[in-house]
Amino acid sequence: MADTSTAAVVAARPAAAVPACLLAWLLPGAGHLYLRRTGKGLIFLGAIGALFVLGLAMDSRLQMTVGLDDILASLFSLAQMAIGIPYLAARMLGYEAGQVTSVTFEYGNTFTAVAGLLNILVVLDAYDVAVGRKA
Amino acid sequence: MSPSHLASLILFAALVSLVFAMLMREDSRTRLRFGLTSFAAFLASAIVVGWLMSPFPS
Repeated sequence: MADTSTAAVVAARPAAAVPACLLAWLLPGAGHLYLRRTGKGLIFLGAIGALFVLGLAMDSRLQMTVGLDDILASLFSLAQMAIGIPYLAARMLGYEAGQVTSVTFEYGNTFTAVAGLLNILVVLDAYDVAVGRKA
Repeated sequence: MSPSHLASLILFAALVSLVFAMLMREDSRTRLRFGLTSFAAFLASAIVVGWLMSPFPS
């Protein structure tokens, strides 16, 4: 008889934790899709992807500042990079410069950085799902 | 793309509230409630802070 209890549905897959977190970082929602949480994964992909794309459309700059010379700029870069492949793809497609004179420049920066920060929470959620702490 | 301040606020609040609701609640009913509360809190706090700042010169 097939076991359809909640315990079976949320069964832990600790071995899947590392690949799930890696996939979740590379593409928002991919970790949850890998863990067969399709609905959650698609919503994360749609919502965080939309935040990032809207940020680019609002002339956000995708700066890559690494080092201790300007800590705040480095943290901001890390926040943007946390979205993974979309960040790299956007840079390769020529969106890295942004447009500082645009009226929506700061909004765009906020959208792209928050998209990355939310993706960090999604990575942690994927870990919790993999180890069985969450459904 | 140059949405108005209010449109940007609504877009941002809606998308962030959706992600928060999916992360912080487990079932559909509480997710909906949490998401709507979060969305309303984003809008209300921005409008209140904007109103409080309005007497000050730019």
